Amino acid sequence: MKEPEVRTTPDRRYPPFWEKFIPIALGTIAVIIVILLLIAIAVATGIFPGFE
Amino acid sequence: MILNTILPFVSSVISFVFAFILLKRYLARRGLHLLLWGIGMVFYGIGGFCEGYFGAFGWNATIFRLWYLFGAILVAAWLGQGTVYLLAKRKWANVFMVVLALGSLYGLFRVFGAQLDPELMTTSLHTGSEMSGHAIVTSGVRSLTPFFNLYGTVTLVGGAAYSAWIFWKKRVLLHRTIGNILIAAGAILPAFGGTFSRMGLSGALYISELLGAIIMFIGFIRSITPMGDIDSQDSVIK
Repeated sequence: MKEPEVRTTPDRRYPPFWEKFIPIALGTIAVIIVILLLIAIAVATGIFPGFE
Repeated sequence: MILNTILPFVSSVISFVFAFILLKRYLARRGLHLLLWGIGMVFYGIGGFCEGYFGAFGWNATIFRLWYLFGAILVAAWLGQGTVYLLAKRKWANVFMVVLALGSLYGLFRVFGAQLDPELMTTSLHTGSEMSGHAIVTSGVRSLTPFFNLYGTVTLVGGAAYSAWIFWKKRVLLHRTIGNILIAAGAILPAFGGTFSRMGLSGALYISELLGAIIMFIGFIRSITPMGDIDSQDSVIK
């Protein structure tokens, strides 16, 4: 009996360099956003002195 | 001292060129995000021009007010509002636009009504070679900036990072993934420059603004320019 054909969707990938670089860049940006938000909150509440 | 004139003038020119491209694209395609980004980059350019003017000619109260309003308060929020129009539902984008417009008018009123003392820009932290909000004497004016900058950081930087993540998750349109990462990185730089400047690192603000404008510009051009065959590669799972 013929086995039913299993269809698979193509596994899309970026070129290898971008596959490594992009998650690192996005993670770094996420951390920086958190830091900037904390600094902005600190400035707004007066914890960090000297508004711009 | 010459750098404190040249750097911001160069930043201003780049910003105005970028604004021209964005507004030209808006006229062709009519996306409100393009209009707001264009306005935001005009503000960026005004801020840089005022900094360069200060470096070249010294103190001027009107130039200072223009710098503080456009460069310190409004620029990040208006750029971010463009991203809100790109990513959010139109109804909510309009609501935030009304709030931003009213807030901007309030900021205009407060900044142009504030008392100034240029001597205060030279403190134990600041050398006075760069513009600084310390010149504003009237209370409650400088406290406006964190709210606008917070909104700008979340929407512009966060929005660009979110867009990049969505494209990366689907492994499509590599040029837009890279472009959005560059836009996020470019938008982050002036924020850090302002922080380092506040800590007394002279020149940090102007350098970060220049690099920020350049990187955002490159990011935008990258995001609208497909990379051809290497945008994605397909491989079949066996």
